[in-house]
Amino acid sequence: MNKKKKTRSELLLQELREREKELRCIYEIDEILSQQNLSIEELLSQVVKVIPNGWQYPDICFAKIDYDNKEYCSGQCTESPWLLKADVKVKDEKIGVVYVSYSEERPKEFEGPFLKEELDLIKGIAEHIKRALQHRQLKDLFDQTQDVDPREDEWLTILELLRNTDSPLLARLSRKMTNFLFLGGSEEAKELLEHFSPSYKEDDSGLVENLNQPRKRIAIQDLLPISEKVFQIAVKTLGKNHTLKAIQKWIREEKSSFLVNVLGDSKSSLNDISDAIGRYHHLDPTGTELSVPRQKAFRVSLVRRMLSDQTHFINVAKNFFNVNDFYDLLNRVITPAKGSGKLGGKSAGVALADKILKSSYKHKELFANIKTPKTWYITSDGSRSFLVYNNLEEVFDQKYKEITQVQFEYPHVIQVFKNSHLSPEIVKGLSLALDDFGETPLIVRSSSLLEDGLGAAFAGKYRSVFIANQGSKQERLIELMDAIAEVYASMFGPDPIKYRAERNLLDFHEEMGVMIQEVVGKKVGQYYFPTCAGVALSKNDFLWSPRIKPEDGLIRLVPGLGTSAVDRLGDDYPALIAPGQPTLSVNASIDEKIRYSPKGIDVINLTTRSFETIELRKLMGEVGSEYPNISQVMSILDQDRFRKIMPLFDNLETSNLVVTFDVLRKETNFIKQVGAMLNVLEEVLGVPVDIEFASDGDNLYLLQCRPQSYGDEYEPVDIPVPASEESVLFTANRFVSNGLLKGITHIVYVDPVNYGKLESREALLNVGRAVGKLNQLLPKRCFILMGPGRWGSRGDIKLGVNVTYSDISNTAMLIEIARKQGSYVPDLSFGTHFFQDLVEASIRYLPLYPDEYGNVFNEQILMESRNYLEDILPEYAALADTVKVIDVPLAFEGLELSVFMNAAQSRAEAHLTKPSQNDSDEPLRRAHGIPATQTVNHWKWRMNIVEKIAGHLDAEKFGVKAFYLIGSVKNASAGADSDIDILIHFHGTPDQKADLLLWMNAWSVGITEMNALCAGIDPGSLLDVHIVTDKDIKEGNSFAIKIDAVTDAAKLLKMGHLLKSHQEDIDLK
Amino acid sequence: MSSSSFNAFAMAQSQFDKIAEMLDLDQASRDLLRTPNREYHFNIPVRMDSGNMQIFRGFRVQHNDARGPGKGGVRFHPMETIDTVRALSMWMTWKTAAVDIPLGGSKGGIICDPHNLSLNEQEQLCRGWVRQIARNVGPVTDIPAPDVMTNAQHMLWMLDEFEVIFGGRYPGFITGKPVGVGGSLGRKEATGYGVIITLREMLKELDIRPMDTTASIQGFGNVAQHAIDLYHQLGGKTLCVSSWDQEDQTSYSFKKNDGIDLEELRSITNSFGGVDKAKAKELGYEILDGEDWLKQEVDILIPAALENQITRDNVALISEQVKIIAEGANGPTEPAADDEIKRRGIQMIPDLLANAGGVTCSYFEQVQNNMNYYWPRDEVLGKLDTKMTTSYIAVSELARQKNLYMRDAAYVIAIGRVVQASKDRGWI
Repeated sequence: MNKKKKTRSELLLQELREREKELRCIYEIDEILSQQNLSIEELLSQVVKVIPNGWQYPDICFAKIDYDNKEYCSGQCTESPWLLKADVKVKDEKIGVVYVSYSEERPKEFEGPFLKEELDLIKGIAEHIKRALQHRQLKDLFDQTQDVDPREDEWLTILELLRNTDSPLLARLSRKMTNFLFLGGSEEAKELLEHFSPSYKEDDSGLVENLNQPRKRIAIQDLLPISEKVFQIAVKTLGKNHTLKAIQKWIREEKSSFLVNVLGDSKSSLNDISDAIGRYHHLDPTGTELSVPRQKAFRVSLVRRMLSDQTHFINVAKNFFNVNDFYDLLNRVITPAKGSGKLGGKSAGVALADKILKSSYKHKELFANIKTPKTWYITSDGSRSFLVYNNLEEVFDQKYKEITQVQFEYPHVIQVFKNSHLSPEIVKGLSLALDDFGETPLIVRSSSLLEDGLGAAFAGKYRSVFIANQGSKQERLIELMDAIAEVYASMFGPDPIKYRAERNLLDFHEEMGVMIQEVVGKKVGQYYFPTCAGVALSKNDFLWSPRIKPEDGLIRLVPGLGTSAVDRLGDDYPALIAPGQPTLSVNASIDEKIRYSPKGIDVINLTTRSFETIELRKLMGEVGSEYPNISQVMSILDQDRFRKIMPLFDNLETSNLVVTFDVLRKETNFIKQVGAMLNVLEEVLGVPVDIEFASDGDNLYLLQCRPQSYGDEYEPVDIPVPASEESVLFTANRFVSNGLLKGITHIVYVDPVNYGKLESREALLNVGRAVGKLNQLLPKRCFILMGPGRWGSRGDIKLGVNVTYSDISNTAMLIEIARKQGSYVPDLSFGTHFFQDLVEASIRYLPLYPDEYGNVFNEQILMESRNYLEDILPEYAALADTVKVIDVPLAFEGLELSVFMNAAQSRAEAHLTKPSQNDSDEPLRRAHGIPATQTVNHWKWRMNIVEKIAGHLDAEKFGVKAFYLIGSVKNASAGADSDIDILIHFHGTPDQKADLLLWMNAWSVGITEMNALCAGIDPGSLLDVHIVTDKDIKEGNSFAIKIDAVTDAAKLLKMGHLLKSHQEDIDLK
Repeated sequence: MSSSSFNAFAMAQSQFDKIAEMLDLDQASRDLLRTPNREYHFNIPVRMDSGNMQIFRGFRVQHNDARGPGKGGVRFHPMETIDTVRALSMWMTWKTAAVDIPLGGSKGGIICDPHNLSLNEQEQLCRGWVRQIARNVGPVTDIPAPDVMTNAQHMLWMLDEFEVIFGGRYPGFITGKPVGVGGSLGRKEATGYGVIITLREMLKELDIRPMDTTASIQGFGNVAQHAIDLYHQLGGKTLCVSSWDQEDQTSYSFKKNDGIDLEELRSITNSFGGVDKAKAKELGYEILDGEDWLKQEVDILIPAALENQITRDNVALISEQVKIIAEGANGPTEPAADDEIKRRGIQMIPDLLANAGGVTCSYFEQVQNNMNYYWPRDEVLGKLDTKMTTSYIAVSELARQKNLYMRDAAYVIAIGRVVQASKDRGWI
């Protein structure tokens, strides 16, 4: 079984190699033929030499071209019975012949010893030669006419030539000229027009007759005789020079008409486009022969077809791409059969950024060594074709499942994907790509349609997979395919689905393109890695000094692969540099510089063929001075100071090396380059950007470019004078960004001291779990999380609560409290994917330094207010000392918490404030970074309504024990057509029940009408009331399980609190 | 911050008052020594990278220079207060006097946060500080050194500015310089070695052979490592060391019953003295709680990490076997724990004495600078041995004669020497 399979795949590989040889042969020939400076003799004698390479047995293969009474041979001429030939024909007239023969006998194939594909190949070669010769003739002709004053009958010669070589073209030219003349008012032309347009004739029969025959032939036959007449009129009317110019212009445009057709046809596949562009490229390698409008039209349609159909993107991209760029791009695009997908957001982003940088005139010198790595692409429809090919369509429904189920099923999805196959066309393409790459390590990146679009950066939601790409071709191919399957699978992971749900992007038809990128780097010992790599952001939201402004940008830099600059790791730190203030470093003392320097390095181990994180110290022990440009990355700690490495003196294997990037900062223009890149890209794209880069010591490579999420909500606010000293919960003076949070109703406070006292790891982990559940239960974006040290610590959880993004995704603000412990202050959570998650979700981050002079930290509020943990999560009651849940309005007579942040003043303050009246949806709007959308309004509106209903409900009168909210309104995901699910715990009489239902129904009718008026949608009755009894609750029947459920529990609402005032109102009247 | 009214200077004064009482000092002496002799407060204008001028506040406090030129660090601190600087300058006076080196006590600082300053701006700040105070400091008046947030680089900038002003080479103006620019060999080892030299002397007095002793050490940084080095050379055996684990944010003790191997442990330790737990386990070390170093059945405890480590609460955990505590760190023992240590008769080598190797070596650096002749490492360490031994014997003899606790004896000797010098000069 195993053996059989192997031979099958070997056969496939052999076949692939043949195809590849053939393709390469065609490419080589094309390349030769496109050399305009060679004579025809030179061209043909070069072409004939490369022809044998395309055949199965090149060693015994012999090729010959006959043309213009001359013979061009690839070697010694020999007669042979094993012969293939193809004619080079122009207008059915044979002008040359291509021969291929074998000098020895070989096993029988499709025709003699020749493969079927080889028959096609020789025809293809003949066709290519024909095109080249034709093009050459025309060109020569124009070259002659261009400079010299046209002689009397020059244009006639041109017509003659056109008639002989390309009569359809002549037909079209004639018609164009006739139209042109007619539009200019020529009477004679009007007459002629009848010849072209049958419908112009009065006679209907002519029309019918014409329809029955191939129109083209008729036209040609009709037109050829009259074309001479047309041009005679033209010369008469326009003059010789103008006529000639017009012809010339039209011929040029004619040459690209096939491209117009292909691009205009929405059904044409990328392969068609690719062929058309290839053809266009040969006709006009410089791309200069087109009129400006046509060029623009080409660019726009190509951008739209291949890169993105976002108007903003097209608007920018059309100014930077020309048609030939797509020629280069398409050579490295892999698409499924008949594919018409796009390259995806990430690919489009980086391609555009590259063009923008290359065309920057101002920074021409600075950007001279900025490049993008060699990349192959699989179009976005590849992912769909993968699913269809393997009958996996059902995973499309994954996104509509409950997130917990998605989470549960994801590992299986990955396995299923890994055990599926890519379609043969893709495999063929990948094989070509691997030959192109050689044994360089690769990174397979997702490039989905949604990714990197404006406002949804999808940072790290989809997979990127490093592969070592070492070993036999077959091994490498299998590894690559495996990686692609994994990237595809990540479309159906819980994180991206949750992310999309939050942004109302679930219904978007997501497809995933794939970028296969050469990993930037050098081979050092058994490892492969770049000198340094990282990410850079236009806007710096992590201000470590008041002198740094957000506009100064941020670079996160690490030695080796950039993964750890992007990912949040518990135990290592990237170097942070603000390119606008490069001299202000985050760390000042030598101790800090050592402590917060990267200790590990991500590399690809070529021996184990895996991605590894190794200790820098270990790496240096192994490779020492071989590390590329080591002196730019590290400094030597020598006698209480850092100094530059002096390779002559220093033994790097044993020196005390620390990553400082000192030399890179001071002695190279690296920071300047990155800063200028950010500026140029931001200026052209019109949005702040987020780029990934790597440097191999010689060149700087741009790996990715996407819009940075950074919005209006980051406006500075004035910090008001607090109502009283007691109403200030805390103040902060470091790392403050701009903004305002209002309407905070709950505080979750993890007491740093008691957290530190927890003894077992289990107890520490439980705190994280409790926070995760509170995150589900508390009102979205209306609570803040306060806790010790670094939120999201993984290994070292004493240092901070162990949570992932999904455990904190609903908070409005994440606060880290750095209480001094002995002489040390806990480390901060430096930004990472997690950080970006926060930024993306507009969750604010603020560190508190309560022990620093001038800061207020009103622990009393936190300690003395009632702790609702036990009520909300009885199973975590044991943690009540550590985790405190404070209901602000309940504890402080209806007040809410507001956090005012002002980066310029480097100050943030949290005040207890009166809830404002007219901006009920404000926190959410800000939270989403979007203007008040329908969704947001709908949820908040429903929430208000349902709170009112509960407030007016006379529990005693109707026999109601408790009033709960469940479903979309509780989860803050309600839209215009969502109903409001209410769960009522009832313990009254049947009469009371009837009364209750009647009462509720009245509400329902009222608010349904209101909703219909506001949203224009009438989904039917808006209130969905479920009644449960003690018995139901005891037995856990139907909706009763939602009460006190562990996840997605029903939200208990306060009843009757509006009742009294309501009655008083009435009484007063 | 909760407005704690902690004042370092008030505390230093009350500590002095206590000793003054014991010495029965006259009022003039008390008045002279309770406050610094001279204080300089000045502005330092700095042209920032942006082109704007910014004014920083600088200080130099010279507490007492009766015994010789002042000596003390220059700190960069955003919340620097004059009282902190005063307290620290007084502490320097006692420290130099305790080991009987001919220097006085000073301290200086600049209110700034180096996190907000580029290196260029820091250089301007250093040079500006020197320009303002140049006439009141110098190799024969007052000698600065690195301190909180300042390092060798800052010292070299200050030195260069000083030499520009006075038109010559005055390497003795400042200490903490790298070797080759006026630095002294043996500085790395000095503090750790100093601890063990005093320990050796105490063992001699107690008539215990070092090779018959065992020790447990808190910390595995520079001081601890060099202390262990010399202690092992003397034949002692270290059973346990503790070290801070950055990853777990806690400390662990590493124990080996037949004694730790210094080189082996160093090879798995980072530059902060953090020992790799997993590798230590592989090498056969027992991994214990951070505080367990204190509970070991050893003869000697050397706290060489942080302040306030031996407290009222954990002092009872100290084994009956322990005979000596040598304070390698600054202030590792809480005053409350001192009483219990006294009661149990454990011998104490106080920080003022035990960790004075560092300041002694700075003094040697300055001596070498002033004669422009540099000693080999062994000569530096030999002289360190002589100096530390003499100082120890002086304190120890006083303690024995007057039946004082060693810590009190060290203070009494130090303050007594300063009072005597001031009297000799006719100041009091």
